[in-house]
This record gives sequence, structure tokens and C-alpha cells, in this order.
Amino acid sequence: MSATHEFSESNLVGEVVMDGITNLNFGSVDDHDLSTTTYPILRGSSSFEKYLRCKFTGVYSIISNMKFWKSAGTLVTGETIKAATNQVYTQPSATANGDSDVPVTEGAALTLQSAEGEATIVYGASGVSGYTKYVRLQLQTTVSTPSGAVNQKTFVFQYDEV
Amino acid sequence: MDNSISINLNSGNNSMDSLTFYWMAEFNNGVIFQFEDGKEHKFQEVLDRINELEFFHLYHKDGMNNINFIVDLRKGLIKTLDSQEPETVEVKENIRLIYFRRIKIQIGEHDLKEKSRAVNYHLGFQYNDKLGNNRRIVLIIDEQGNWILGDN
Repeated sequence: MSATHEFSESNLVGEVVMDGITNLNFGSVDDHDLSTTTYPILRGSSSFEKYLRCKFTGVYSIISNMKFWKSAGTLVTGETIKAATNQVYTQPSATANGDSDVPVTEGAALTLQSAEGEATIVYGASGVSGYTKYVRLQLQTTVSTPSGAVNQKTFVFQYDEV
Repeated sequence: MDNSISINLNSGNNSMDSLTFYWMAEFNNGVIFQFEDGKEHKFQEVLDRINELEFFHLYHKDGMNNINFIVDLRKGLIKTLDSQEPETVEVKENIRLIYFRRIKIQIGEHDLKEKSRAVNYHLGFQYNDKLGNNRRIVLIIDEQGNWILGDN
């Protein structure tokens, strides 16, 4: 057998954890699985930050070499996606943060640790939750960003397993 | 030495559809099949006995095209079941198995259902040559059994 994984997002001040989220839409509300039509981002503004994790379940021995990057989705004028890895959860903010642009190649990919701060996730080990640490993501715009929907992005999550 | 091993495909009631290749570890004092007698052995069991490991097999779960890669950890060779060994083999020291699956999942921002999922098996070994340099030889094998000689 092999590990199965799902994406998890955390929101709000007390950290409400939602496993098995179905989209990663950026918007003007601190919530998971949001509708961009209902919560659009105004030009010149930023989305609420997304605190994303992966959660492994199933049977495996060791997960390692966990990486995250954006592989497709052209940015429009003034649009950037910021990303930082291995973050501590704090209440998501819609203020533009100073994180780096999300990497767009495997070679520059963000490297993820386990929630416990290890480079690997060892199945069944004491105190191991199966979560990674957080990837913090935010979509930022400028006043020159054209109105209307932006292009959908494709992200890659990659890991090694035995 | 005769390295022929009869592959045990008895996999019990485990759900194994997510795996295309199974491993078999041949130690100096026994053999472990990844699946046998209705249960799965974790790779950790191989790691726990890594100093006793002599051969590591990776074979297609359905026997497709008799795909069976074998890492010879005594001599430092990767071969298939029916390949002939070279007459002379460079002396290698400290030969260590490399084995893992690399899973690459692409997801869309608006729909986290997987847009694509690629699984490649990385199989090989690293060793020290006569000058003490660390060297790696790794095959990257896709789920159809196609392989390339990789560098990681």
C-alpha cells in the first residue's frame, strides 16, 4: 500500500482546521473552499493568506523530500503569488506580506518539513501527526491589475515515499 | 550464484492498487516479499536489516513483460532477471541501496482534484570507488516499466 494525502487549510483566530479542502481559491475572506465570485479581491488589494498543509494517511514507512511549487498559470499585470514555507500558524491577514514569489520550477521549489519540524514523516512514530508544516500563500495585486478573473494556477506537490 | 527467485504474488486482502511494482528483499539469511501471507511488510523492515541485504528486487505486480529489476548489493550491479553479468566488475566499497517512489501531484487552484499524478520508482545504489569518491547509479522507472539512468 502507499500513503494517501489530502490538503488541509487552517483559518480564523483560533485555527479552525479543515482537512480535505476542495479548492485553493484566493479571496477577500478568511475561509476555505471559498467562492471567488462571492469574495473577489479588489484591484490593489491582497487576498487573505492561505495556510495550507498536506496530511498523509494510509500505510507507508517514510515520507521525505516534500516540495511545493507553481507549475502553470500565467500571472496578469500586477499579480503576484507570495509563498513561504514551514510557517507557524497565525490568523490569516489580507495585508500584503513580504514573502517571496512562489517558485515556478522544481529546482527552486519550497521544501516542506513535517509538522514536528523534521525532514521526514515516519509512519507510526511517536508524536507524528502526518501533517506537513504550513505553506503560507497570498495573491497580491496592484492598481494596474486588470479587472476580471485571473488565470487559474497549477501547483505541484511532490514527495518521496518508501 | 543462481539468483532465480520464484515471485510470490500472494497478496492477501490488502488493497494494493496504488502500487505498480512490488519489492522483494533477499538477505544473507532469508527473504522478505513486500506482500506475503496476506500482509504487507513495510520497507522499514528492510532498512532494519540493511547490513544483511544482498539483493533487492523490484518486479511488476502483474508480471507484465517479466519486468524484474535486481540490485546486487554484493557486487554493485543493477540487472534484469535474464541479463548476463559482465565478466569483470569494478571493485566497489560500502554499497548502499537506493529505493523510493517519487510522487508528483499536480493540482488546480480552483479544484484540488489531481490534474495529474506521476509515480516514478528510483532504484539503484551508491558506493565508494577505489579513490573513496561517493558515486550513485539510479534507474528511474515509470509505471509502464520504461526506465532511464537518472542522477538522483
